[in-house]
Amino acid sequence: MLRRLRNAAGVLAVALLLAWLWPRPGELDGGATTGGNTLQRIRDAGVVRVGFANEAPYAYVDTETGQLTGEAPELARLIFRQLGVAQIEGVLTEFGSLIPALKAGRFDVIAAGMYITPLRCQEILFSNPTYAIGEAFVVPAGNPLGLHGYRDLRDTPGATLGVVTGAIQLQYAREIGIPDSRIRIFPDAPSAVDGVAAGRVSAYAGTSLTVNDLLGKTDAPLERAEPFKDLVIDGEVVKGYGAFGFRKGDVKFRDAFNQVLNATVGTTRHVDLVEPFGFGENTLPGNITATELCEAVPND
Amino acid sequence: MIDFLQTHLPALIEGLRVTLQLTVGGAVVALLLAVAAGLGRRSRHRWLRWPANVYVETFRGTSALVQLFWFYFALPFFGVSLPALVTGVLVLGLNSGAYGAEVVRSAINNVPRGQWEAGRALNLDERKVLFRVILPQALPMMLPPAGNLLIELLKNTALVSLITLSELTFTAQVQRAATLDTVPLFALTLLIYFFVAQILVAGMRRLERAVTRHRGGAA
Repeated sequence: MLRRLRNAAGVLAVALLLAWLWPRPGELDGGATTGGNTLQRIRDAGVVRVGFANEAPYAYVDTETGQLTGEAPELARLIFRQLGVAQIEGVLTEFGSLIPALKAGRFDVIAAGMYITPLRCQEILFSNPTYAIGEAFVVPAGNPLGLHGYRDLRDTPGATLGVVTGAIQLQYAREIGIPDSRIRIFPDAPSAVDGVAAGRVSAYAGTSLTVNDLLGKTDAPLERAEPFKDLVIDGEVVKGYGAFGFRKGDVKFRDAFNQVLNATVGTTRHVDLVEPFGFGENTLPGNITATELCEAVPND
Repeated sequence: MIDFLQTHLPALIEGLRVTLQLTVGGAVVALLLAVAAGLGRRSRHRWLRWPANVYVETFRGTSALVQLFWFYFALPFFGVSLPALVTGVLVLGLNSGAYGAEVVRSAINNVPRGQWEAGRALNLDERKVLFRVILPQALPMMLPPAGNLLIELLKNTALVSLITLSELTFTAQVQRAATLDTVPLFALTLLIYFFVAQILVAGMRRLERAVTRHRGGAA
């Protein structure tokens, strides 16, 4: 009797587990779609899938509400509403997977605040930039090695630099001449910050907004390296220009998006929208276009 | 402490759900493939042996991470586009199945040759010898290494964050990005994996006992 009861309980537990695990509606969607008229397709569907890499304040999941937010998704919502697409749906992936996933049609737009670089322009199209910001280092409190820029780190024997996989800072470090043997690549920004805290690297190089965001969250004895010398490559101060990414075949889609974007960026509505994320008047990109940023000569 | 759990546990449990989906689904795929390829590799027929060999050596010999990447990001260019969850289940299953095929094959090989001969002497045909005489003796030998593979599969599921699935490990990383509670978060994640692995171990033990009992108690 007892044994039969126990068996029944076991069967019930397994049945409940399987019911919990059974795919919910929509969980098996998300096959790839490419080709055709992307804008028409997402208008008909009323929803556009956007890829992001969970990097605050650019694009991240607010763990309180479970909602996708950040500079790029909020701006995307505004623009897509004007294009007749009511809803955006986030697809979370690692930063380094964003471009391959876009190309494979796993989503239709990258909304991760990705910088426009000539190298990336060979793979995908960019909208015009939505912000421009500079670089920063996270270092141990007191900045014991006195690192105030990429060149300081290069000239300090034994100093190592942490960067995030697929992120622009690796390219900067190489162009400045920091040898690969002194560069450590982390999977994401929190890991890189933890790497500095644990003494794995001397500094983490990220965008100034990522650095501000992460330092605001951690209690570890870390600080932003101040003052920070502007990064100058080939006589020009390097700034990062973030934008939305599109597939090469989606020129019309990108152009339609740009048209609305150009009318939006710089308006008070735009500034109010992105201010909660640490962006503002001082991070507006000015008149520079994606085409100009793509044509900047790669330094190699 | 309560605060910490309230912030992170609901999300981690959602992540655990994806991890278990991949583990259970992957195990089903792996089981079918392991039996098919394990038997296929022993077949006298070349057209069974060859595909089984190619499958096992391909999936054992290449990186699971690269396979995932390939199935998810490269196959759409050839017109095959599977949803992320299906891709994950398939690749993990194909991988574990390739190792499982060797478990099946070696267990069958370890049944003494005399058992085949005895079966034939009783005028049983080849299929009957395999299913009535050999496999019942091979099965208890397969279970311990199969249990190993199952736990391995559970932990391999952490690879799928590459293909946009937020399983347990990736969820922990996402939660960490929000609060930077690195140490307690990853400690909790380890505990969850450990707990699930213990349940799998207990299940496999039970299965082993059931199988040996049916064999009449002989070890």
